[in-house]
Amino acid sequence: MNRRQFLTSLTGLALTDLLLRDAALGAPGTLRGGLHHPPKAKRVIQLFMAGAASHVDMWDHKPLLTQKDGQPWDPGEKVELFQSTPGACFGSPWAFKPHGQSGKMLSEIVAPLGGVVDDIAFVHNVVGKTGVHSQGTLLQTTGFQLPGFPSAGSWVSYALGSESDNLPSFVVLPDHRGLASNGAKNWASAFLPAQHQGTAIRPGSAEPVADLLPPQSEFITPGSDRAGLDVLAKLNTAHAQARPGDDRLLARVRSYELAAAMQLSATDALDVSKEPRHIQDLYGLASEGPGVDDTTINVKAETEFFGRKCLVARRLLERGVRFVQIWSGNDNGFPRRNWDSHEDVKRDHEPLSLGMAHGTAALIKDLKQRGMLEDTIILWTTEFGRMPCSQGSKGRDHNPFVFTNWLCGGGILGGTYGESDEWGFRPQDTANATTAHDIHATLLHQLGINHERLTVRHNSIDRRLTDVHGHVLKAMLV
Amino acid sequence: MFRASPALLLAAIPLYAAPDFEREVAPILEASCLSCHDAANAKGDVRLDTQAAVLEHLKPGLPDASLLIEQVSGPEPDMPKKEKPLTPAQVETLRQWVQSGAVWSEGRVLADKPARDLDWWSLREIRKPKPEARNGNPVDSFIEAKLAEKGLKPVPEADPATLIRRLSYDLTGLPPSAHNFEFRASSFDFDSLVDRLLSSPAFGEKWAQHWLDLVRYAETHGYDKDKPRMNAWPYRDYVIRSLNDDKPYDRFVQEQIAGDALFPGQPDGVLGLGFLAAGPWDYIGHSEVGEGKVDGRIAKHLDRDEMVSAVFNIFTSTTVQCAQCHHHKFDPVTMTDYYRLHAVLAAVDRADRVFTGLPPEKEKERNTLLARINALKAEQTKLTTDAKRELGARTSGIERRLAELKQKHGSPLRPQYGWHSHISKIQAAEKWVQVDLGKAQGVEQVRLIPAYDDYNSIGAGFGFPLRYKVEAGNDPGFNTGVRLIHDATAADQPNPRNSEIVLDVGRDAVRYLRVTATRLAPRKNDYIFALGEMQAIGGENHDNMAQGAAVTALDSIEAAPRWGRANLTDGIYHREVGDPAALVEMRELEVQKAAIEKELADPRRDARLDEIEKHLADLNPKLATYPKGELVYAASTDFTAQGRFIATAGKPREIRLLNRGDIRAPGGLMQPGLPPLWPGAPEQFNLPTEAPESAARAELAKAITARDNPLFWRSIVNRLWLWTFGQGLVTSANDFGRMGQPPTHPELLDHLAATLRDDPQHSLKNLVRLLVTSRAYRRASTHHEANAALDASNACLWRANRRRLSAEEYRDSLLAVSGVLRMEDRGGPSFQDFVIEKPQHSPHYQYHLHDPRDPSAHRRSIYRFIVRSQPQPFLTSLDCADPSQSVPQRDESTTALQALTQWNNRLVEAMSDTFGQRLGQEKDPVNAAFTRALSRPPTAEERTVLTAHLQAHGPAALARVLYNLNAFVYLD
Repeated sequence: MNRRQFLTSLTGLALTDLLLRDAALGAPGTLRGGLHHPPKAKRVIQLFMAGAASHVDMWDHKPLLTQKDGQPWDPGEKVELFQSTPGACFGSPWAFKPHGQSGKMLSEIVAPLGGVVDDIAFVHNVVGKTGVHSQGTLLQTTGFQLPGFPSAGSWVSYALGSESDNLPSFVVLPDHRGLASNGAKNWASAFLPAQHQGTAIRPGSAEPVADLLPPQSEFITPGSDRAGLDVLAKLNTAHAQARPGDDRLLARVRSYELAAAMQLSATDALDVSKEPRHIQDLYGLASEGPGVDDTTINVKAETEFFGRKCLVARRLLERGVRFVQIWSGNDNGFPRRNWDSHEDVKRDHEPLSLGMAHGTAALIKDLKQRGMLEDTIILWTTEFGRMPCSQGSKGRDHNPFVFTNWLCGGGILGGTYGESDEWGFRPQDTANATTAHDIHATLLHQLGINHERLTVRHNSIDRRLTDVHGHVLKAMLV
Repeated sequence: MFRASPALLLAAIPLYAAPDFEREVAPILEASCLSCHDAANAKGDVRLDTQAAVLEHLKPGLPDASLLIEQVSGPEPDMPKKEKPLTPAQVETLRQWVQSGAVWSEGRVLADKPARDLDWWSLREIRKPKPEARNGNPVDSFIEAKLAEKGLKPVPEADPATLIRRLSYDLTGLPPSAHNFEFRASSFDFDSLVDRLLSSPAFGEKWAQHWLDLVRYAETHGYDKDKPRMNAWPYRDYVIRSLNDDKPYDRFVQEQIAGDALFPGQPDGVLGLGFLAAGPWDYIGHSEVGEGKVDGRIAKHLDRDEMVSAVFNIFTSTTVQCAQCHHHKFDPVTMTDYYRLHAVLAAVDRADRVFTGLPPEKEKERNTLLARINALKAEQTKLTTDAKRELGARTSGIERRLAELKQKHGSPLRPQYGWHSHISKIQAAEKWVQVDLGKAQGVEQVRLIPAYDDYNSIGAGFGFPLRYKVEAGNDPGFNTGVRLIHDATAADQPNPRNSEIVLDVGRDAVRYLRVTATRLAPRKNDYIFALGEMQAIGGENHDNMAQGAAVTALDSIEAAPRWGRANLTDGIYHREVGDPAALVEMRELEVQKAAIEKELADPRRDARLDEIEKHLADLNPKLATYPKGELVYAASTDFTAQGRFIATAGKPREIRLLNRGDIRAPGGLMQPGLPPLWPGAPEQFNLPTEAPESAARAELAKAITARDNPLFWRSIVNRLWLWTFGQGLVTSANDFGRMGQPPTHPELLDHLAATLRDDPQHSLKNLVRLLVTSRAYRRASTHHEANAALDASNACLWRANRRRLSAEEYRDSLLAVSGVLRMEDRGGPSFQDFVIEKPQHSPHYQYHLHDPRDPSAHRRSIYRFIVRSQPQPFLTSLDCADPSQSVPQRDESTTALQALTQWNNRLVEAMSDTFGQRLGQEKDPVNAAFTRALSRPPTAEERTVLTAHLQAHGPAALARVLYNLNAFVYLD
C-alpha cells in the first residue's frame, strides 16, 4: 500500500474509530497555567541563519565601509579572527535604501522586509562569546556554549506545555540539505523530559515526520493496520487493568490514540496545497514545488525552500504548536548552502538572504492579517555576525564581537535598540551590549515567564535558560 | 609630625574582650561575606575586603550605629543573602569586634574563603552497619526493618516465569529465549540461574551499556562537523571485558584515570584512558582555531572542564564543576580545588593512542620523534600565519579588485590546461620540454604562457619554474649549435602568474625550441614543471608557427584532457581576462602586490621555513618506520598534529585560576591537587618538578580509589543498586552533595559500600549477586492499596519496580525474538545503521537510507556506532542516552511519537515480517510467539483475540502487534 492509499483509508475511519476515544491529551506545562505575570505572547518562531549571517550586508548600515572600501582597516586594536587575518575595509556589495515610516536603512538583499520593517525591533549590539560555529550556535539555541543543555524551545514547551492535543509542542523545520553545526543538539531537551525535545519535520520530503505512517510493506494493509491497532488497544487495556496503580500502562494505550490523531493533524498541517493561490504566492512557493532546481544556488530555489517552511510554520502555530524553529543553511559543506561566507559574500548571501527576506516578510504579513502577530513572537537570529574587513578578497570572517538579532510581534515595538560602532565591529557602547541571555529573557518575559524563576535542578545547580545572566529588554516592550 | 593611622586612633578607645581579628573575625567575613563583597564583585557597591572599605560600613566603638552589624543581626537578617545566616555567636563576635574598635591587621586584604564543612552524610566515614538479622541476605534485613518501621507489608515473590524474564533482562539485556540454555519455570534453581547469567558474556554487554551511558561514550566528536572516531570502540570492548572478567572496581577506575602510569606496558592501562576521551570534542576550536587564540583557549578550557567533571561526577558523585566561576555554593569545593584538577589533566588531549603492538621503549623513541615533528610544524604554522597576516592586511584590497576584474572580464577555464612534467622529489632536477616546428624557420619571438590550475588555490603561474633557460637550435638533442635565447638560471624568478613571457629570437632559422627548468616549481612536498602554451611567432603574418607542433619532453604526465604534450601547442590556454584595459590594470595591481610582497619579505623567516621543511623531510620517513600498533581513542600526550591541535608531549599547560571562569581574567598559578573531601585526600600533590605529567593523574587515581574515600564506594554501590532495582538508594546518582537527595536507606548503602570496599577482590559481580538474590529483588511488581497509600513511589521497596525495556533492550529483543540476532558476533568495530553522505567535510549520517534487513547490523545494540549530532532516531524516541552528557539513569517517557516509532518504524516492520515467516511454520503460531517473546503461554483472551487477527491478516501482522504489546515492552 502506498502512502496516499493509506491516508485515504485513514481519514475514512479514524474519526469514528480512534480520534473520538480521547480528546484532551494536551499536556500542561510545568507552570500549569500559573504564569509569573500576564503574558503578551503565546507562541514563538525562531528563525536561525546557520553559518553566521552578515549584519553589515543586511540591516546594520555602515557607510564608512563603503567610503573606505579597499583601504587598510584599522579599528585601533589588535584583532584576532577565527580563520584569517584582517584584510582591507569591505564596503557592502549591496546598496542600502530607507524603508518604512522609520526610514530604516535596509540593503537590497533584505528589501522584501521593507513593507514590514516598522514592526521589527532590531538589536544591532548583540555580542557572542566565541567565534566558533558550534559554540556560538549552542549559545543562541540553548544559552550555553557546550552541549548538554535544553533548547529555548524545550524550555518553553516545558513551561507552557502544549496547546494542541495531537501535535508536538516544539517543532523544528531543519534545512532539508542537512543539519547545522551540533545537529539535533540544537533542539535537544537535554535534562528536561524527552517530550520537550524538538520534533524534526521536513515539509516537502518523502517522509516529513519520521514513522508517522507505516512503511512500504508486503503485509501492512489499511485493514491490517486498523485491526492491529484495535487488537493492541484491547490487549494493552486489559494488561493495564490487570495491573492497577501504574499510570504508565494506560498512558501507553492512550499514546497510540494520540499517535493516530497526530497522523491526521500533522498531515493536514503540512499540506500547503490547501492554501489559496494568493497565499502560496505571498510566500513565494515555486510552481515546481520543493523539487525546484538548485544545482547552483539561486534566489528562486532559496525562496521556495524558506517560504515553504514559513508557511508550514504558520499552519503549525494555528494548530497549537508553541515553538517552531526554522533553519536556513546546513553544515559547513561545499558548495556553500549556508551563511558562512568566508570566500564570497555576494555569491552566498544574495540568494539566501533574498529567500529568507521574502518568506519572513510573507510570514509577518500573514500573521498580521490573521490577528496572530500580536501574540506570536518572531525571533531572527544567527550564531554571530561577519567582519567589516574582507577575508581573502570577497569573503568576510566571523564577527562574534557584534551582530544583529531582531524580534517582531508578541508585544514587541518596532525600532532600533542598540547600535554597533561605525565599522559594525563592536557595540557602540561596549558596557551596555546585548547578549543571547537578554534576548532569551525577553522572549520568556513576553510569554509570561520570569527567566530567573523557570529552573530545573540538574547536577546540583538550578539551571535556567539564561544561566546566571539575562536582562529583559524593556525598551522594546509595548 | 605625627600622623595617626586609623588603627592607632581606634586603639585609643577602651577595649572590651576584643576578639582576635585574624583568628575570629576574618574567617567569618571570608566565609560569609566576601563571595559577593570582594573587589571583583562588590555587590551593591559594598566591599568588605580592606580596612578602608569596611570602615565605610561601620563606626568603631558603636556597633548599634554600624550598618554591618545591623545587616547581619535579628531573626531574619538581610545579609548574607546567599550564604547561611550567621550564628548568634558569630554576630556577637562581630559586635564585640566593632565595640572594641574594629582592629584590622595592617594591609590585610580578605578573600572569599568558604568554610569547608565536611559534616554531610556522603562525606562521613563508612562504618559497616550490622544487619539486624544474623542469617539470610543482609539486604533484606535492612529493607524489611524499614518496611516494618513504616508499617508496610511486602508483596509476595513473583511467579517463576516473571522472575526468569526479569532476571534475564536485568543481567543480560535479553529475553530468556535468546540464551542457549533452557529455563524451566517448573523446577528452576534461582541461584544457579543467577550464576549462569552472571558468567554469560551477555552480562558484560548489558552492564557496559550502563557504564557507557555514564561515561558519555560515542563514536563521533560532536560539535561542528561531527567527524567519526574510528578507534573509540576498543574502549567499549575493554569495558565489556572488564565487567565480564569482574575486574576489581578500584583497578577498573585507576585504569581509566591513569592506567598508563599505574600499569605500564599493559594494554588495559591505555584502553581505560578511553574514559577521559569519551565525551564530545570541539574539532574546530582545537584544530582550526588552536590555543594561539582566545577562542581556542576557551575551547580547550571547556574541554578540560568536561574531563574534570566526568571524573568527579562519575567516580565520586560530586559536582566539582560548580566551582568553575565561584566557589561551590553548597558543597565544600573551592575554585582553587577545581582548578587544581585542571592542573592534573593539563597535559592530556583526546586523540588516538597505541595500546598494543608497539613496545614501550620503541613508543618512547617514537614519541620523542613525534614531539620534534610537532614542534617544527607548530613553528611552521606560526611563521606562515604571521607572514600571511602582514601581507593580508596590505593586499586584500588589491586581491578583491583582481577578483572583480577576473569575474567581469574572465573566460571560463577550459580543461586543456597544458603540459606537466613528472613530479620530482628533488627541486634541482633538470627537466625540459621542446617543440619541433617541422623545419627550420625564422622565428621572431618565443612566448611562454604559464599554466593555470586551481589545484591548492595556485591558479595562474601553476608549475612555472623558479629558474629556467630557453634555447633554440637545429639539433633535436640540443647537443650542438645551441643558441641561448634567455637565461634565468642564476637566481629565482618571480612567478609570472597570468603574464606571458615574451622573448626575442631574432629571425634566425631554427627548428627546435626548448625550455629547460633548472629549479622546479614547489608544491607541498615535491616539485614540478608545467606550462600552459608555447608559441613561436614569425613569418610574414607574424603567425604562431608552433600551433599544433610536435612536442617532446624529458618526461610528461599524460592525463587527458588536462595535461599532455599536445596541450602545449593546442592553442588553448587560460586568459584570466580578455579585456586589454583590464589586463593592463591587472598587471599594474600585480606589480603593486609584488612590491608589497617584496617589501614584506623576510629572508630570515624564509630561510627558517626552508630549514623546517628540510628537517620535516628528514624526520617524517623515520616516523614511518615505527609499527603503527593498535589504536584506541584515549587521553593522550603524543599524537600527530592536526592543524593547530598539537600534542603537549607530556608538558602540562600552565593552569591558572580563572576569575568568574573567564579565560581573560586569569588568577594564580595552579598546581595539581584535589578537593580534600575525605581524610587523607591530598589537597596538593607536591610532586617533584621532574615527575612526568602522568604522575599527577596517578596521584588522582590513587586518591579517588582509596579505601578512605567514602564517596567512591558509596557512589558505585548506589549505581549497582539503581541498575538492579531501577531506582537508586540515592536518587541523584551523580550528586551526593547538598543539592542532591539523601539516601532512603543510609545503613544499607553503607553496608553495601563497606562490603565492596572490604572485599579483597572489590568484585562488582559479587555485589550484583547479593542484590538479585535478595527477597526484595524477587518480589512481584503487583499493586497494594494500603502500601501505596503510605509509599506511592515504592521508595521502601515493598514491591518490585515494573520497568520498560530500555531502547537497546527493545531493539535487541526484536532481533532476538525474530531469530536474526548475531549473538556471537562480539566486539570489534561498530556496525553502522546509517549511510554516511558527504564524508569528506561534514558527514551526514543518514539513518533512513539504511536497510533494516541488512544482517551486518543485526548485532547487539552495544556494538552500534553512536553518533552525537544525529542520534539514532528509533532509539532516541525510546529514551536512549544522550552522549553529550553523563546519563546515570534513563528517562522513561511515554509519547505519541514513541507509539508511532514502535508501530511504524521500518525495523519493526522488517522484524515483524521475519518473525512472521518463522511463525507461519508453527503449528500453533500464537503460542509459539508468546513463548519466544514473553516466555509464557498466552492467556485465554490473548489467544482468542490474536488467533482472530492471525487468521485475518497473517503471522507478520500478528508479530507487529506482539512487538507493540505492553506485555512485551514492560517487565513485571
